[in-house]
Amino acid sequence: MILRRKQLEANVPSMAMGDIAFLLLIFIVLLARARDDSHLVWQPATGTELVKPANQNASVVIDKQNITYLNGRLTLSENLATELSALLGDLPPGNRTVLFKVHKDVIAEFFEPAIEAVSEAGGELHHVLDPSPNKPN
Amino acid sequence: MNDIAFILIVFFLVCASVEPEDGRSQTIPRSEKNEERNNSQTIEVGLTPATVTIDGTPYHQEQFESRIQQLLSEKKTESERVVVVKSQADVPYEHWIAMTELIEKAGGVVTLLLEEQHTMIVE
Repeated sequence: MILRRKQLEANVPSMAMGDIAFLLLIFIVLLARARDDSHLVWQPATGTELVKPANQNASVVIDKQNITYLNGRLTLSENLATELSALLGDLPPGNRTVLFKVHKDVIAEFFEPAIEAVSEAGGELHHVLDPSPNKPN
Repeated sequence: MNDIAFILIVFFLVCASVEPEDGRSQTIPRSEKNEERNNSQTIEVGLTPATVTIDGTPYHQEQFESRIQQLLSEKKTESERVVVVKSQADVPYEHWIAMTELIEKAGGVVTLLLEEQHTMIVE
């Protein structure tokens, strides 16, 4: 009598794999969003002759509630210079761009110390603005 | 179905991650403290939420633009073209950015004059 060897089939459950990939993607997206500043609410002031920054090494946001964030993380304005210095390290001039995103109605009491902190840390300030509707850009 | 969902989510992610970054670069020298400033040739611009002054004289925005251009055209070196901007605490960023833009377009180098904060405990 000949006994046939039982054929073993190894199938990859495609639906389950898809679900895992989907969950992994969402997990990575959530992690990435916690590090950037796209979730912060601010409205740019207007300006003319706007240019794109050559590079971007850090971003400082002051939102509608006058709260300061460095790379999307809440920070105190008195610690901003130290944290920025650590972040920029020994980068050469031209590679120390700090995107400065300030809500248009934030008052000087809040944004001037932040500008001072960027200057103290040796950052190159780049104000992020909206093109002015009246003047040609 | 999975592939479609995956492509859709990537599409939305790419759309959401495009953020505006256009703007204006600005080089700000270290700010000056009140007591350190003794250069009488430096132009001082004062900002309040509604007005702008040059060395204490108030100007309308159009007048300010021409006056600052006139003053800066007389300056020869970069150190002479330093314009000290002193803002009241309640000046909105939009006003500040508009005025500093005019100063920089006229060839000025903006520096900030910050008030030093002192805490006094009254017993």
